[in-house]
Amino acid sequence: MFERADELMIAYQQGDMESLDQLYLLLKGPIYSFVYRYSRDEQLSIDIVQDTFIKLQRSKHLYKREKGKISSYLYQIAYRLMIDKLNRRKKWRSFLPFLTPSDKEEVDLADRMSVREAVAALSEVHRPIVLLFYYHDLTHEEIASVLDIPKGTVKSRLHYAIKKLKEELGGEENVSRSL
Amino acid sequence: MSQDPFKNERFLQSKLDEYHVKVPDIPLHSRKKRWERFINYLASPAKNPIDPMVSTLNGIMLVKTGPVLCGAVLSVLPVLVFV
Repeated sequence: MFERADELMIAYQQGDMESLDQLYLLLKGPIYSFVYRYSRDEQLSIDIVQDTFIKLQRSKHLYKREKGKISSYLYQIAYRLMIDKLNRRKKWRSFLPFLTPSDKEEVDLADRMSVREAVAALSEVHRPIVLLFYYHDLTHEEIASVLDIPKGTVKSRLHYAIKKLKEELGGEENVSRSL
Repeated sequence: MSQDPFKNERFLQSKLDEYHVKVPDIPLHSRKKRWERFINYLASPAKNPIDPMVSTLNGIMLVKTGPVLCGAVLSVLPVLVFV
């Protein structure tokens, strides 16, 4: 899928506008999932997906294939936009605390809630690493470039995040207990 | 992948696999204006700032007696200032 995305991006850089639509269809889902799992805010995630592709259109000439996959490049744009927005919201909330949105998460299964809660309970530095590694199959190098941190830091944070998730979700013993 | 730390974490994998995200229909070109987004943000449901106070007896007393005391002070204030 990602090789196809790279080819589409090159075609788009060469002026093929249809390739942008195809690239959007291919990658809007993964980017939305990443932002949603990080922020658990549907409207914010939709805005970030649209802003990411608007930014891509404005600076399409900046993408170089040798530097990495287009998917990593878009995750990087989306991550930066999301962090900027969340930081701006934090500032607003410190002035106007009553603007804090209420949690209106739908409650499906108890198990599903617990995995959502466990992911949300990870710190802001550990959460994107787990999401990009597990759900989006990015390598350590790619995550390092998306988050602009050293590869060693990615490894150590991933190790810590897995440990934390295991603590939050319980271990194998919970499976046997629930059966 | 030899570097995959999830490889031996079957329980964790099964849990993480339960986290599905439904992707809504997001059009590429119809982006909302900044002002619309801000209005949406202001209009989104927010926490009641008095909620934490209502959960304790002292908080309830404060919420009930606070406005009465304020009203009393405001009504006495002109008398003290002008008389």
